[in-house]
Amino acid sequence: MSIYVDTCFESLNKFNEELCGDKVEIIRSDNSSIIVLADGLGSGVKANILATLTSKIIATMLSNGLSLDEAVETIASTLPVCRERDIAYSTFSILQIMDSGEGYLVEFDNPSVFFMKKGKRSELEKQTRMINGKLVTESRFNVSYEDLFILVSDGVIHAGVGATLNLGWQWNNVREYIERIYKSDLSPKNIVKLLLSVCENLYARKPGDDTTVAAIKIRKPVVVNVMIGPPVNKNEDRNVVNRFFDGEGKKVVCGGTTSQIVSRVLNKKITTNIKYYNPQVPPTAEIEGIDLVTEGVLTFGKALEYAKRYLSTGSNIKDLIELGKRDGASRLAKLLLEESTKVNFFIGRAINPAHQNPELPLDLGLKIKLVKEMAECLKSLGKRVEIEYY
Amino acid sequence: MIRVYICVGSSCHLKGSYHIIKTFESMIKEHNLKDKVEINASFCLGRCTNGVAMKIEEELVDNVNLSNVKEIFEKYVMGRM
Repeated sequence: MSIYVDTCFESLNKFNEELCGDKVEIIRSDNSSIIVLADGLGSGVKANILATLTSKIIATMLSNGLSLDEAVETIASTLPVCRERDIAYSTFSILQIMDSGEGYLVEFDNPSVFFMKKGKRSELEKQTRMINGKLVTESRFNVSYEDLFILVSDGVIHAGVGATLNLGWQWNNVREYIERIYKSDLSPKNIVKLLLSVCENLYARKPGDDTTVAAIKIRKPVVVNVMIGPPVNKNEDRNVVNRFFDGEGKKVVCGGTTSQIVSRVLNKKITTNIKYYNPQVPPTAEIEGIDLVTEGVLTFGKALEYAKRYLSTGSNIKDLIELGKRDGASRLAKLLLEESTKVNFFIGRAINPAHQNPELPLDLGLKIKLVKEMAECLKSLGKRVEIEYY
Repeated sequence: MIRVYICVGSSCHLKGSYHIIKTFESMIKEHNLKDKVEINASFCLGRCTNGVAMKIEEELVDNVNLSNVKEIFEKYVMGRM
């Protein structure tokens, strides 16, 4: 079973705290993805250290094939003991998804996972056992496409305590909310943002506890191939276009000259749209067999701008909605950020003499730099990226 | 039918293709030429250093800007009527 584990997480810090006492660690290794959410005792520096050690130790040990028992034992003997409370303590949730589709969930004192199959609430069969004096819940299962796991720290189910709700948001209410907002194309990023914005409002913007959401969605891998720029050597045109076109997955062509080359080699007509959805972004075009055809460096630069905003911690729902717009840059950004799981860039390094014009307000020679920055953005989301130069 | 192709490649876009297209559209409306003139966008017409470029029928016209766009419309489009 070929799967991609799409993940996103974010935290709200307890009001007036600079450091978060929750920590999420994600490790992708050759055969599995591990997500650990740890919530350290207390708040601030102390909690942050406990949670960081816990999540890092568990994720590293499990991804190297060591057992849960060994990891828990290591934590117990490593964590610094709190002087006030005389205990060393951090709760944790662990989700491990093997590339074969087997899943493994471990929970210790965190709110129980929210698990949805195709948008419907579902339960995992759980067993409890003692490890090193800690009562731990474990389950083993097989995942399918569209399975959604949401791990949260207790700040989520307590949202509103001391502000708007006497008992907080409560686990059942959170689950109902997730069911209500669920749509099959909702990305983990959207889910995290939506949940956290509710928490923030319930806390009246002054969170009483560190609040963390990690959303994990099982997806079918989607490869996106992007060709940008004409090859330096014209004789290479046919080769490059064929390599680009014959690969599996979606196809995107960026650049006026580049799309003309693709159109010529494939012997397919190119039709440029006249409609501007955004006057700042040149219109797109159509070539049969290609999923998206755009102008080059301006559209790509704008898409990178959207990507950076999307990734910044200060991003909000509005930045995500931006991706739903129909101009070339938004469509490109959505394809790369939300739909793709692996991206292949085919960069042609030929230089357009017109772009050397110092009167132009933007350095168009930045093409390669833009692609590299985009690649870094995509890698930070856990996607695989390959770049070939021609 | 007179076919007009206006370049929307990177250079021409920066030099104002959007406004040229909007001006052409409004002039077509003003002169009631909707059935006689068709505007299309086109990727790079290969005249990047002399943008905004356009192709009217088979004739290449370049260096179009906001100050001469009306003249150009009158000369190359109205002149063909």
